[in-house]
Amino acid sequence: MNLLTIIKIGWRNVWRNRSRSTVVVLSVIMGLSGGLLILSLMFALNDQRMDNAINTYLANIQVHDSRFAEEYSLDRFIDDHESIDEMLSKDKRVKAYSKRVIINGMLSNSTGSHGVNVLGVNPDTDINVSNVNSKIIEGNYFKSTKNNTMLIGEKLADKLNLRLRSKVVITFQDLNGDITSLLFRVEGIFKSGNSIFDNNNIIVNQKSLYYNIPDLKGFHEIAIITIEDGLTDSLKKDLQVLNSNYKVESWDEIAVELAYANKMMSSFLYIFMLIVLFGLSFGIINTMLMSIFERKKELGMLMSIGMTRYYIFLMICSETIFLSLIAIPFGVLISYITINYFGIEGIDLSVVQSGLENFGVGSVIYLKLPSEYYFNISVMVILISFLSSIFPAIRALKINPVEATK
Amino acid sequence: MIQVKNLSKIYKQGELEVKAVNNISMKVYDGEFTAVVGPSGSGKTTLLNCMGGLDSCTSGGVIVDGESISSYSSNQIIKFRLNNIGFVFQSYNLIPVLSAKENIEMVMLMLGYKEEERTKRSIELLEKVEMLDMSDRRPNQMSGGQQQRVAVARALASKPKFILADEPTANLDSKSTANLIDIMSRLNREENITFIFSTHDQRVIDRARRVVTLVDGKIINDRNE
Repeated sequence: MNLLTIIKIGWRNVWRNRSRSTVVVLSVIMGLSGGLLILSLMFALNDQRMDNAINTYLANIQVHDSRFAEEYSLDRFIDDHESIDEMLSKDKRVKAYSKRVIINGMLSNSTGSHGVNVLGVNPDTDINVSNVNSKIIEGNYFKSTKNNTMLIGEKLADKLNLRLRSKVVITFQDLNGDITSLLFRVEGIFKSGNSIFDNNNIIVNQKSLYYNIPDLKGFHEIAIITIEDGLTDSLKKDLQVLNSNYKVESWDEIAVELAYANKMMSSFLYIFMLIVLFGLSFGIINTMLMSIFERKKELGMLMSIGMTRYYIFLMICSETIFLSLIAIPFGVLISYITINYFGIEGIDLSVVQSGLENFGVGSVIYLKLPSEYYFNISVMVILISFLSSIFPAIRALKINPVEATK
Repeated sequence: MIQVKNLSKIYKQGELEVKAVNNISMKVYDGEFTAVVGPSGSGKTTLLNCMGGLDSCTSGGVIVDGESISSYSSNQIIKFRLNNIGFVFQSYNLIPVLSAKENIEMVMLMLGYKEEERTKRSIELLEKVEMLDMSDRRPNQMSGGQQQRVAVARALASKPKFILADEPTANLDSKSTANLIDIMSRLNREENITFIFSTHDQRVIDRARRVVTLVDGKIINDRNE
């Protein structure tokens, strides 16, 4: 007997009880598309969190003086930043870069005080590296002609009761070790979608810092955005060659927890889907058992006339696999259309906005799922269907032909 | 030749032991048209099941062409059944999702016949059972009598040494019964096919050339024309 006949019988058996097969197919479609939608939501959350971090403050690569990374001391400037300038301005892998000054200080006003990172940026170049300019909810992104203006996160502004044009004092230890205080005015309030960043960073024009701190002559950080994520490693290596004092790090080395979450996500998504499919398999097992009990006579006859156990087993398995093969294209298509629609329109989750911001993403989630997930999960469905058919097939093999054919 | 030698089959019902077949010995020669008759519970079906290797015997055995099939392993007996025995069941037991022709061809597929050979033989068999015009019909599009004729054709598909039919006419009306028994009788006469069938039906018994009567698992009469 050839396999084709077994497959043919299996296919026809699927349609013997149309309503039952339809119910199973629908449940697989719903399980698969529901699972894929949840996966895309989880994937999108993680991806947006990562993108948000890279585009707001991390960039793809950061260069620091190796001692600055350890001590966070103001005098640890990047040596010979001109050579980095020269290299980056010619390198085709680089989309944009920006040199920053970083000061650890204390922000205070009459309401209270808060420890902050002061990011001294050149607005003309940083606008290409960080998207903070697009996250301004009040005021402007360094349009003022006045010195000593700053941008502050909404969360910190609320904490210190700051409004536009509010005065605030930044206190820090200068290059001589003396405590210095500078007066700044709020020019803009931003909301990056990452509450931790908003709560711990203020952004100032580096010109103001150079003007107020004459000894400050250099940069602490160069943030680089590459044309593609895949170019990060090669560019990083080339930068490191320039000077052994540089500490060149990619985003996943700086934000280890983000990188770890990203690596974990893939396995987590598959485990999640496996749980969904495990639940679904009970439905398949139940349906196949019902189908076998209904066909006891027929199976008994097949055994009587000499069909081997192997072929009976294959026949039952093929029926189950057919059910999933019918369901998979529909499930994938439904989820693909839905994911693409919400990938463009986004899902507004503002009801859980504060939680999402703590997680590091905005309130609108744009669904996203790489194509390999559709394929891999479809294979998983086929595999689970096959596994689900084993128990019913074993039950079929236990049928006594003498009893069954009576 | 099929030889049943001191065959006993004992079923246990709780503490009780029921002797369905009690030390039966008989020989069925090639080309016989044998009816196994007797009241309900006399052991007809059990005897046929043991002869067909569907059921194991408690003692004694069945020897086909000099070879004891009672000692076969389960895989050996499946292969033996496929190659040597044709089965006709009381309730036809055709595969509902296959047409008459496909039901017949399935046995040949199991045996590895080539497509050309399968088609030729299935048409030939359908012609023999007068069902050629219904070759594409599925079982639910046929009457009981028609289904049973297809079942006979299916039983013949593997060119078996003998055909075992357990009450083949029990679910048929008188016209279909007469028609089926005519076909079986003709196949036996013209093609020397050995039939062993159990029955209650006097009209069928009257057509048999040998009648083995069982009562309480024992042969009480063996009439041969």
